[in-house]
Amino acid sequence: MDVAANPLLSVDRLTIDIAGAHVVDEVSFTVAPGKVIALVGESGCGKSLTSYAMLGLLPPAARRTEGRIMLENVDLAVISERRFRKVRGKDISIIFQEPSASLDPLTTVGEQIAEAYRVHHGVSKTEAFEKARQMLVDVGIPDPGRRMYQYPFELSGGMCQRIMISIALICGPRVLIADEPTTALDVTIQAQILDLMKKLVAERGTAIVLITHDMGVVADIADDVAVMYAGRIAEIAPVHALFREPKHPYTALLLASVPKLDDAPKADLATIEGMVPNPSEFGVGCRFADRCPLATDKCRLEQPSLVDCGNGHRSACWHIDRLAEIRKVAT
Amino acid sequence: MLNYAAQRLIQAFVAMFGVLTIVFIVMHLSGDPTLLLVPQDASAEMIAELRHQLGFDRPVWVQYLDYLYGLLHLDFGVSVVQRVPALDIVASRLPYTIQLAAGALVVAIGFGIPAGIVMATMRGSVIERILTAIVVTGQSVPTFLSGILLIFIFGVTLRWLPTSGSGEFSALIMPSIALGALSMSTFARMTRISIIDELGKDYVRAGRARGLSLGSVVVRHVLRNAAIPVITIAALEIGNLLAGAVIIETVFAWPGIGQLAIQSIQSRDFMIVQVIVLLISFVYVLTSVLADFVYALVDPRIRLVR
Repeated sequence: MDVAANPLLSVDRLTIDIAGAHVVDEVSFTVAPGKVIALVGESGCGKSLTSYAMLGLLPPAARRTEGRIMLENVDLAVISERRFRKVRGKDISIIFQEPSASLDPLTTVGEQIAEAYRVHHGVSKTEAFEKARQMLVDVGIPDPGRRMYQYPFELSGGMCQRIMISIALICGPRVLIADEPTTALDVTIQAQILDLMKKLVAERGTAIVLITHDMGVVADIADDVAVMYAGRIAEIAPVHALFREPKHPYTALLLASVPKLDDAPKADLATIEGMVPNPSEFGVGCRFADRCPLATDKCRLEQPSLVDCGNGHRSACWHIDRLAEIRKVAT
Repeated sequence: MLNYAAQRLIQAFVAMFGVLTIVFIVMHLSGDPTLLLVPQDASAEMIAELRHQLGFDRPVWVQYLDYLYGLLHLDFGVSVVQRVPALDIVASRLPYTIQLAAGALVVAIGFGIPAGIVMATMRGSVIERILTAIVVTGQSVPTFLSGILLIFIFGVTLRWLPTSGSGEFSALIMPSIALGALSMSTFARMTRISIIDELGKDYVRAGRARGLSLGSVVVRHVLRNAAIPVITIAALEIGNLLAGAVIIETVFAWPGIGQLAIQSIQSRDFMIVQVIVLLISFVYVLTSVLADFVYALVDPRIRLVR
């Protein structure tokens, strides 16, 4: 991992509780300007909660109990709601999984983009509107003059996601959180949206935190990957290192479960046995132990921490040296 | 949009026609009005004579067509008691009821909607609990009881407001509150639930994520979205207020069509009852058509698609 570059955003031992259970547990990662870090994991692994915490928009039931969220030298975890409002949309923006649902159905998209600009800049409506129109050009929406006056229901899902990206980027944020940005879209539109995000990162030096469960998307766009399991980071590494040589049994099995083009046509899909544990059932040991083919008594009794395996590759497993066994099983 | 408007108008027309027909059938089921008009000692010939004069001896379907023909010419028959057109009598009382219904609507909307907004956005606060208590009271105390209670407290004991009659503004206050209380609760509950529903939607979180305060998101986006179910209620409530006036006007001796309806039923002056029933039904139909048009104004998905 590229630790040398000054991290723009660093999440440090972030812990979030719901009903007393650590649903996000000591999650740490950093992201530098112009880089993309992917948080990968199954539904309920805490990746979305992590992103909401970065925006100070945790649902009422969830509470951050520990950890820091540093945007350069400001700890977002402790600033007031009033100060956080100046950060949201301006320094950190987010795009969501359901673009159409994330837009107010009764307000034109132009107004909604302009609104995002006006919240942070005291400009006239006309000026904000012109800015918004320019933004539509930047995200590649044809006929922006007309689109400005349309309502979300008149636009396709891909188009709505471009609108959301316009809203997210109009104030030139330094960090963009993309929470499953392409999950609800067609495959062809997915590629377009990913290309657009890549282009924007390159042009503007925006740091992206990409939340996804899609390994294909990760391979396409991410620089670093943090694999999350049941609220904890299992493994974190530069993308190539992770795909070439996973150092955590969960990652190895996850990668093995992605169907490949050269699989036999009728071959069974590889799966990971068992279910993600319920937060109320988190034990003292490794949370993956019950599903892990390498698990030993030690795994069930003691929680492994992330250990450095060199080249910025870190994994939280007691049996990193035995991973070859899994790769054999998987292939 | 034109298509949408045309559809709504046709629906309204059909509904109104149904009402006219049902009213006609009910009036006929209630018996032969001729007997009410003749003196106690009238002979059978006199009764038959009068029945023939009034046309009640014709076949039902002829009478029905005659009735519809009359309605088309705004001829609603003559009051059997006062011997003047029923419509004129109702029209002379109508302004009072309109005043009262308007007063009640002001109470219902003016208090109900803000209360609903506060209850939805300040959940768990003391003020929310106070409002909930008021709303539950308004919803559960029957109109005739709340009217009498108001008279007892503000009219008799405190002597702040007149106990009955009309004319001054002060006389309008208590009947408006008594009549509007139930509607107020309905508005408050609908507004509250509708806003809570909207607050859980993704666009609210997205609005906050672009730097808006929760209050701004509510004002700029949530209220308009939450208004749609409330509009439906408003349409129904206006009709309910007119119908509810029947009781309140009696309690407060308010000379509107509600009081007139009770008096006319007691004196079996069917023509007047018929006009009042038709009028209230017409208001129901009219307000629901208006609501459909207001939907279209608020919601582009209706305005632009259908």
